[in-house]
Amino acid sequence: MRMSINLIDTYVSEIGRHLPKKTRADIEAEIRSILQDMLDERCQKTGKPVDEEMTLDVLKTYGAPEIVASTYVGERYLIGPRLYPVFITVLRIALMVIGILAAMGLGVAVYQTTLSPLNTFDTIIKAITNFGVSVITVLGNIVLIFAILEWALYRAGTKVDLKGLPKEKGWDPRSLAKVSSPNQIKIGETTLEIVGCFAAIVIFNFYPQIFGLGNLAGEVWYVGFGSGTIFPLLSQAFFYYIPYLTLVWALTIILDIVLLRIGRWAIITRIFSIGLKVVNILIAVAMLAGPSLIAVTAPTVTTVFGDAQGASLLINLLTDGLRILLWISIISGSIDIIRTIYRTVTGSKRILPA
Amino acid sequence: MTNESYENVILELRRGVIVLAVLSQLDKEQYGYSLINSLKDHGLEIDQGTLYPLLRRLESQGLLQSNWRIEADRPRRYYMLSKEGRTLLPRLKDEWTGIVSMMEKML
Repeated sequence: MRMSINLIDTYVSEIGRHLPKKTRADIEAEIRSILQDMLDERCQKTGKPVDEEMTLDVLKTYGAPEIVASTYVGERYLIGPRLYPVFITVLRIALMVIGILAAMGLGVAVYQTTLSPLNTFDTIIKAITNFGVSVITVLGNIVLIFAILEWALYRAGTKVDLKGLPKEKGWDPRSLAKVSSPNQIKIGETTLEIVGCFAAIVIFNFYPQIFGLGNLAGEVWYVGFGSGTIFPLLSQAFFYYIPYLTLVWALTIILDIVLLRIGRWAIITRIFSIGLKVVNILIAVAMLAGPSLIAVTAPTVTTVFGDAQGASLLINLLTDGLRILLWISIISGSIDIIRTIYRTVTGSKRILPA
Repeated sequence: MTNESYENVILELRRGVIVLAVLSQLDKEQYGYSLINSLKDHGLEIDQGTLYPLLRRLESQGLLQSNWRIEADRPRRYYMLSKEGRTLLPRLKDEWTGIVSMMEKML
């Protein structure tokens, strides 16, 4: 008898290991009770007392612990059906970007490498290895971000697979017209923005000096990121803006999650979005007006690499490139604000009854 | 149709009626194992791995209520229709009668 109880305890405890903590004790108690009922019935049928063999048979009939536990837990997803199409889109875009960057990097590296079959082969092998590492890193990060998003949506109670009958019945075909409405959110775009903001927060707050100048095989210098860089690219002036940018990115993520949850733009979210864009533009203007955002100078680069003309050209390209980027950000932000205001007005008109 | 496909279709058909069958047996309280036997007596054999999670789901939906009781020195969980479940059951029965009538005409 003692042995039978031990077997049941072990079995129930094994099931419990696969159950959520919240409901574990309750389900364990219920299964224990069911198993006792099953044993009682067998005793009555066979006229024998409970023994080890009978207990083993009952446990075998009841099923493997993992399978029993899974019937209580239901289906769980790392990335569920709602986010999966967006996940695939983001993944395709990310892989495409990495592929293009890798191809460009390889082209530049091969062009700058002393032309010998061995060097070229070595450069290509390095590029392929770097590409493989980048793909795994990006894939891992994207999966992680989507898994967090899935978990957050699940916690918020927006599981897609719970479309009940009443909702199906109450579905209004006229809502299809809203697909092209200015209030309709673009799931792909919104998710991509979350991923981008999250990546920006992580990179600039935890790996601030990842962007830099490096040299390849001791001969060729390049602008890039990673452990191979020697001089940090961005100045202290740039990092002065990071707390403000982080706040904007974090608020953008919150806004996007809210938008994904409610599925459409509302006046309040539009106003919030305009506010964030205005702050973004102000930061960009401050960056343009303030001290240089580039840390490396032409003399520093020349000292190390000995190419004064190339160094000067590179620093000018970087400085002007960054300024152009800031101008683009200001102009596109302003256009976005005008568009958002327009959509707020037209959107509110469209939802009014005719 | 292979035997496996046939069994899958039968399983699907039965799965559709399990909720109604379970609710119909719980106008008086029963613990899980007695419910399985009660359903078996009516000719519906239901897997335990299906029944117990279903009972919990129906309880979380507010159609059933349960309580633990000590009997013969061990606890047993008794399930019974809740007030909402009692209101819903006659409507479900009507729906079922309608389905049967429709299918009889169709077949």
